Amino acid sequence: MQPEPHAKPPKKQPPGGMEWGGAIGGLFLFALSIVFMVGGWQLGLGVPTRLGVGAFPFLTGAVLSVLSIFICIAERKGDGLSEVPDWVALVAIAAALAVFAASVERVGLVPGVWATVIVASLPDRSLSFPGKAVLGVAVALGCWGVFVKLLNLPFKSFVGIF
Amino acid sequence: METLANFGGGLLVVLEPQNLMYCFIGVFLGTFIGVLPGIGSMAAIAMILPITFYLDPTPALVMIAGVFYGAEYGGSTSSILLNVPGTPAASITAIEGHQMAKKGRAGVALFSTATASFGGGIIGMIVIAFLSPSLAQLALSFAPADYFAVILLGLIAASAVSNGGALKGIAMVITGLMLGTIGIDLTTGVTRFTMGVPELRDGVHIVIVAMGLFGVGEVIASIRGARSGTAAQTVDYNNFYPTRDEWKSLFAPILRGGAIGSIVGALPGTGQTIAAALAYAVEKKVSPLRDKFGTGVLPGVAVPEAANNSATQTAFIPTLTLGVPGSPPMAIVIGALMIYGITPGPRLLTEQPDMFWGLVASFLVGNIMLLILNVPLIGIWVRLLRIPYKYMYPTIIVLICMGVYSLNNNVFDIWLTLIIGVAGYVMRLFRFEPAPLLLGFVLGPMMEEQLRRTMLLSRGDPMIFLQRPISATLLMLTVLIILFALVSSLRARRRNRAAISSTN
Amino acid sequence: MKLGFKLATAAFAVAALSSTAALAEPGAWSDEPVRIVVTFPPGGTSDLVARLLAQHLDTDFGQKAVVDNRPGAAGTVAADYVAQQAADGTTLILSNNAPFTIAPTRFANLPYDPLAGFTHVAYIGASAPGLFVQPSSGITSLQEYVAFVKETPMTYGSSGVGSISHILGEAVDAALQVESIHVPYQGSAPAIQDFRAGALDSFYDMVVQNSDMIEDNEAIALAIASPERNPQLPDVPTFKEQGYDVVIENWVGLSGPASMEPDTRAKIHETVMAVFASADVQTKLTDLGITHVAMSSENYEALVADLIGVWAPLIEAAGIKE
Repeated sequence: MQPEPHAKPPKKQPPGGMEWGGAIGGLFLFALSIVFMVGGWQLGLGVPTRLGVGAFPFLTGAVLSVLSIFICIAERKGDGLSEVPDWVALVAIAAALAVFAASVERVGLVPGVWATVIVASLPDRSLSFPGKAVLGVAVALGCWGVFVKLLNLPFKSFVGIF
Repeated sequence: METLANFGGGLLVVLEPQNLMYCFIGVFLGTFIGVLPGIGSMAAIAMILPITFYLDPTPALVMIAGVFYGAEYGGSTSSILLNVPGTPAASITAIEGHQMAKKGRAGVALFSTATASFGGGIIGMIVIAFLSPSLAQLALSFAPADYFAVILLGLIAASAVSNGGALKGIAMVITGLMLGTIGIDLTTGVTRFTMGVPELRDGVHIVIVAMGLFGVGEVIASIRGARSGTAAQTVDYNNFYPTRDEWKSLFAPILRGGAIGSIVGALPGTGQTIAAALAYAVEKKVSPLRDKFGTGVLPGVAVPEAANNSATQTAFIPTLTLGVPGSPPMAIVIGALMIYGITPGPRLLTEQPDMFWGLVASFLVGNIMLLILNVPLIGIWVRLLRIPYKYMYPTIIVLICMGVYSLNNNVFDIWLTLIIGVAGYVMRLFRFEPAPLLLGFVLGPMMEEQLRRTMLLSRGDPMIFLQRPISATLLMLTVLIILFALVSSLRARRRNRAAISSTN
Repeated sequence: MKLGFKLATAAFAVAALSSTAALAEPGAWSDEPVRIVVTFPPGGTSDLVARLLAQHLDTDFGQKAVVDNRPGAAGTVAADYVAQQAADGTTLILSNNAPFTIAPTRFANLPYDPLAGFTHVAYIGASAPGLFVQPSSGITSLQEYVAFVKETPMTYGSSGVGSISHILGEAVDAALQVESIHVPYQGSAPAIQDFRAGALDSFYDMVVQNSDMIEDNEAIALAIASPERNPQLPDVPTFKEQGYDVVIENWVGLSGPASMEPDTRAKIHETVMAVFASADVQTKLTDLGITHVAMSSENYEALVADLIGVWAPLIEAAGIKE
């Protein structure tokens, strides 16, 4: 049988689009590494035998900056993003965490958890709002039972009411 | 043979009803708390500490130990099911474990970890029983230079943990190292990169990094499936139990993991995380299934579990025989002992043989209890997976928040988790793996501390690394491993090029 | 399914943990459980003292108490938190040097006032640190130490930058007019481990807590920084008696937010003193290396004020002022 001439496999579309997506990741890393290199430099590098406070950040930043450049180059025609970014989910979860942070000490554990659950489940269109509210209550009570009663962690259950 | 006699005596101690009961309570509580993300063994032990005051030292110690390794085991459950590591060491288990769960093989994964933990625990117990004095001696002779060499080896292993390509793996480890410098520099007390934020003075807590990178990132990535109303992860009930061949394939990894874990765990400060990472990296090189690592292979799930369970147990060696806590929970153990007027130290073996051997024997009993407790639970956990994800994921988010908040009762930590979580999702998009970053983050500060301390102690002489036998050997080993990796990747590339050109 | 499991676990664990359930019961000064905030993570000495106190308050006086660890920022996180709580005796702090006598000098911007921001209620006791050297060095007295170090500087381990052992080390250097190399660790245990491994020449730590090492001749205690010799280790001379005015102690006490009712303050003081008057508790304290001294609230408050002044020059000399 004749061996087939070496043919390039058809170009796969990366699932997330943005074929050069990986390169952006490299750029992020590069930027981060510069931050630490500058910071480390400012903190003082010391001498090799008596390393200064900034030596480690600077060195790791330096190595990372080089590596990230390589990554940019390698990823220019790479596999791209692993999936289409789900911005709605990102915002919803971020908002849920923010809600928890803002509410748990102001209104207490139970209302805070309830609100968090609702915000987190916002992107879920298959669950109605009353359904979300009920879920919130269930989770909030469960958390109260487990964390406050059982484990005796210092959470305020309700602020301003109890 | 004296050891066997001692062990027998310890077994008698442990089989006393009171000790048995507290062993069970410890193991039960530990597993339950370990499953909750973020609340690891530290919080669990602090929680039961008040009860221990009413007890005698032996049942108290047995209970605390039970909580400790129970939590470690529980941590693997949430790792596998949810990709949210219950403890940092469990993040390695999550690599293969969660992949298996995604393929419907959660049951198999959970059985494997149960078996592996049991196996690792037994190995750890044997090591303690027979090798305590020698390991204590070994730990005693470790100087900062030697620790640096061990941690460096651990870091190289961490780079090898990445399944997405060496370049990205190393970059992630370095990023972790870099981020680990945030906070107070231990050697000089100067704050680094805290940008004036007082909560960052003590650095970013590892639980926050783990929860953010793994937990939050995973939830964000998984919502899409939930939103469209697709059911939860499928469970392949035909594949519930491991097959005979799969059971057999667990044997060697458990031995390897247990061995690595027992030794690494006995070195104070290195801990279960390094043990799990090292074991996984070694397994990747040695296992017949090495090419499949990253897609969900049994050895990959078993080895870190065996390693971290045995490390959890041998961590008691430096704690009890040297009074040096291997990790924060061990510091609590030492504190608890001191309240009883028992000073950990070389004398403990001779002055408190009943307690020591009762503890060692309790590892056997406790691990058996864990097995009996958890095997039926596997069915329940797996059924949990069938709850539609749309109900699960807000719960997971709440659990993550609770776990993080319980660290310091400070909402700042939640905000931090938010930022890291977003970064974790973005990383996932760019196909950067979180596990190497976590490892770099854990190991980096330790490595820097030991490096600068070595320089201080040697009055600035770098030759000390080669002068001390342990560090010299380890460093040479590290160099050899790097060289070997470079050579084999060059050869692989040459082979690939040859293969491509030969088909032309 | 999930709920059923949760209930079952709850039932079981409640039975096991019933001793720690927070129920309202009449207590010595508060019907609610009292929280004792600790500045360090669980397992440290101040944490253990707090737990000891909490346990005895409960068993001996029916006053429910729980320990709340809030470590961070060298004790200032806990102190800041307590300063903001209600001054009704339900939130107290296990005070020690870190937030009250070291932090005020060390940190320029402290969010709380160590004296006006708190009601200092009860003094518990103190332990004293000292200097340890390797037995292999052949040094058995402070004079020999001075002679040696003037030739060859020694490395000394401390439990951290800004810790008592660090400050003591610098103070001793200043008094003896020598220069040693400070090697900080995270806590004293790793320092002692390196010492045992032979990598560290000397270290500073609480003396009584290391009496095992002294007895086994694994370390030689050259001097202790208490005003007088410790009865448990009568052979260890003090710095003071050898002509060096170095007196540094690690004290612990109980304090609460500012403007506490005098009655509440007195009641708490009375109860705490009663707890520590018992021989059983005192034995446990001495096991932790702490010597109990009964003191009035006013004297305690004056002591804290005094100590801030005593420590200030030492902190500045140690170069850790930020």
